[in-house]
Amino acid sequence: MDQSLFMKNNQRKFGHAWHVALIVCAASVSLSGQSTEALGEEQVAQVQTVTHRLTPSQYRNIITDVFGADIDLGGRFEPDLREDGLLAVGSSVVSVTATGMEQYDAMSRAIADTVVDKAHRELLIPCAPKSVTEADDSCAESFFTEAGFLLYRRPLTDAQLEAYVGAARTGAELTADFYEGLSLSLAGMLSSPAFLFREQRAEPDPDSAGNYRLDSYSKAAQLSFFLWNAGPDAALLEAAANGDLHTEEGLTRQVDRMLTSPRLEAGLRAFFNDNFRFDAFEDLAKDSILFPKFSPVVAEQAREQTIRTVLDVVLTRRADYREVFTTKRTFLTPDLGSIYRVPVYKNGPNGSPDQWQSYEFSETDPYQGILTQISFTALHSPAGRSSPTIRGKALREIMMCQEVPAPPGDVDFTLFEGGGDLRNATARKRLAVHSSEPMCAGCHKITDPIGLALENFDGSGEYRTTDNGADIDPGGELNGSKFSDVGEFAQIVYQDTVTTSCLVDRLSSYALGRSPIPSDKEWVNNLDESFEQSGFRVTDLMRQIAVSDALYRLPRADLNTASASVK
Amino acid sequence: MTLSASVNKKSSPRVAVLLGSAVGLAFNGLLASSAAAEQSRGYVVSWFAHATYSQEGDCSEGVHPALEEVYFKYLKAFGEDPQKIEDIRQNFLEGRRDDRLAPMMMERGRVDGKPTNPFTNPASAADLKLPGLDGEFAYGFDLDDREDDQASGFKDPETYEVGVDHELYRALGCARAFRGTLDVSPTYWSWAWGQLASSQPAWLITVTGEDLTRDGPVTVTFDRALEHIRVNDDSSPRADMAYRIDPDPRSHNEYQGEIKEGVVTVSDQGDFRALQNPLVAPELALRNFHLRLDVSQDESIRGIMGGYQPWQDLYWGFGNLGIGGEQQVIGDAVQLYHLMKRYADADPDPVTGQNMSISAAYYIEAVPAFVGNPSASSGTFDAARN
Repeated sequence: MDQSLFMKNNQRKFGHAWHVALIVCAASVSLSGQSTEALGEEQVAQVQTVTHRLTPSQYRNIITDVFGADIDLGGRFEPDLREDGLLAVGSSVVSVTATGMEQYDAMSRAIADTVVDKAHRELLIPCAPKSVTEADDSCAESFFTEAGFLLYRRPLTDAQLEAYVGAARTGAELTADFYEGLSLSLAGMLSSPAFLFREQRAEPDPDSAGNYRLDSYSKAAQLSFFLWNAGPDAALLEAAANGDLHTEEGLTRQVDRMLTSPRLEAGLRAFFNDNFRFDAFEDLAKDSILFPKFSPVVAEQAREQTIRTVLDVVLTRRADYREVFTTKRTFLTPDLGSIYRVPVYKNGPNGSPDQWQSYEFSETDPYQGILTQISFTALHSPAGRSSPTIRGKALREIMMCQEVPAPPGDVDFTLFEGGGDLRNATARKRLAVHSSEPMCAGCHKITDPIGLALENFDGSGEYRTTDNGADIDPGGELNGSKFSDVGEFAQIVYQDTVTTSCLVDRLSSYALGRSPIPSDKEWVNNLDESFEQSGFRVTDLMRQIAVSDALYRLPRADLNTASASVK
Repeated sequence: MTLSASVNKKSSPRVAVLLGSAVGLAFNGLLASSAAAEQSRGYVVSWFAHATYSQEGDCSEGVHPALEEVYFKYLKAFGEDPQKIEDIRQNFLEGRRDDRLAPMMMERGRVDGKPTNPFTNPASAADLKLPGLDGEFAYGFDLDDREDDQASGFKDPETYEVGVDHELYRALGCARAFRGTLDVSPTYWSWAWGQLASSQPAWLITVTGEDLTRDGPVTVTFDRALEHIRVNDDSSPRADMAYRIDPDPRSHNEYQGEIKEGVVTVSDQGDFRALQNPLVAPELALRNFHLRLDVSQDESIRGIMGGYQPWQDLYWGFGNLGIGGEQQVIGDAVQLYHLMKRYADADPDPVTGQNMSISAAYYIEAVPAFVGNPSASSGTFDAARN
């Protein structure tokens, strides 16, 4: 459709806001043309770039970084998609639905309105207009140059800048309000693909003839979203602008700066929340009759407990990653203490929010490591009971990167739920029917034995010694190693190299934003080895990934026609 | 340890309370090794209400009339024109506004013939001689241990003990807001516990003995906590929360007793005192304290505690609610004063001879809790779940 005609018709229908919005849309450069704009047609066909939709936390982090923490987003995000175990990978295959675009539009307008309101404009807009009732191109240009640089993670092109300044001018003229015009144009910027999507731009790799690498700004973004789960800061953008980031020394300097920044915690939080599939907490509910202590507050605290536990191991103490499976050290609130049945006293005035407290389970406590925490035992259980099968599947898939097939469509659940003797049997006894059914046995033999190790924890994560009145036997076998209780089980998980290789696989996928492909195999194998040599220190692994050429090298499409795990 | 070690080996939680933080902990640890034979279970009181056992026919003269009918009795006592009383009644019954009644009731006391606030001066309001309860059963104890009042005393519906002294139940048992059972609590006490639980520090119980799974001597303590009771999302009490004992001695109570077939009783019958929200009464005080606490269940325990209670303490809780509380919660407050005064059965005033205390029994429920000394840090405790 002829765009100007369309605009003319709609201006009459919808008024000034639509008019400006359409100008802004017209100004937004199409995404497909950007990622390889410096390359020829033949080159484009050879390069695989990946474009990611910002995750909700990345969107929030960027807005907080650019405009401050008090900006209310005023909308909600579309659900993410998990691919190969990670939302970070799934974000490269999702688009935006019409409903999602409405939400982005609502958020962009809310954010833009707040940025220009009287309480924020002096702080966030670097200039004052000559008149608040008139357009001021100079001031608008100053604002969009700065904000656009941070929001788009690269300098605006002249055409982009001109379009946003023009939109702000049109808006100001239509509304007789400089700030209203600025707000309308900013809303357009926040709804544009260049903001909502992390795009990779390719350039020929001067050190490897015939191959391609990320351009410096894409490289800065790749690094920043990996380590901080946020857009690049001013120093990183400057390093991208002056070419430092393309030098080994410059890249290392930036990586080391970012690894020692307090913002690394946000990056680690984002990775482990993604890797542990904690987005599932949003849908977690328990039968309140059976598990009265469980609540949405407890669920949120359980998620945070595990993240704090992991951060304590990998960041605060820079300890062996495998300790996350055996550590007695954790962090609790009084409410969590009541589920773990350990005394955690309120450490603030009555009525005040509960504070987190570091806590160390005693040697005789059954709790050790994150697999015995509520975030695993309750998250991977149905609403009214525990499930060794679901827990075993989760352990295989999340911690070991192994795929467990879905049950066949015609599975006969009556075998498991049964009646008679099975009605009041322990889970072990009920699950034993799987071994006699060939349809079930194949998968259940890899899930149930390890899930049964956690049967002492009920569906809410609370310790128990009996199930349906019978004593629980948590013994079993994991990858050929036998265990008799959850403590021995945790030690076997600790020693199993599958878990550390899985972390390497996931962290490298997370950094790349895609699953490793055959040409990444050597790199990932090297990471695996050096992770072990480092004593399984996650921050060392992150550093090695971040300074690797492989993170910024773009695969040739003709060499990697299909994604495939290198494991 | 969560479960097995939650039965703490210790001597006296009170010792740690008195000794304070570091010294208390060290001393406690010392005792743990020397007196390793004791177990201590901890609980937080999750329900507290007058122990009532309302049954059909236990008020032979009928349950007290509705509040408005009681008000009309006052008007009659004032000598108001019967037609005026009837007009007001009709307006009330037909939902028509009538502003004459409430002002008169807010000053239904009389001092030297002048209208007086009856809530602050209950003796000034007419005693309408509303009846007390005369049923056979009431929860409680034979507090006076007198053989000669066994015929007139109640029979406990659980233990079938006779000669049970529970005149508070006799006094209030026919008032609508005070009728109920242990399972269906009286209106007033449901309201009162709601106020107490949400506004005051929790009450804690510890039971300490050599082996609480077997019969034998025990020490029972009641204390106030530093923390408020915690509840689940469905308002049920949250088990296994941690509470520290308030070192204020005004709410510390300790008794010797025994556990027999899972039921704890006390034998030294001292005084019981616990500070509470003044909205109900500034203090719960019971003389000649008796207790029957069934601790055989793992998740929740229940029991009856009783003794002689200053009845005026209770009245001030009722009267403080004023006409609003009277209409919404308790019914006629002033008649409750007269009833308790009438049935009070202990501690006569040396000058007037008026009994100043009344035998009472209260129902309590409690759930397992970690109980620690005032300076306990997370991970340490003196008493916990079985």
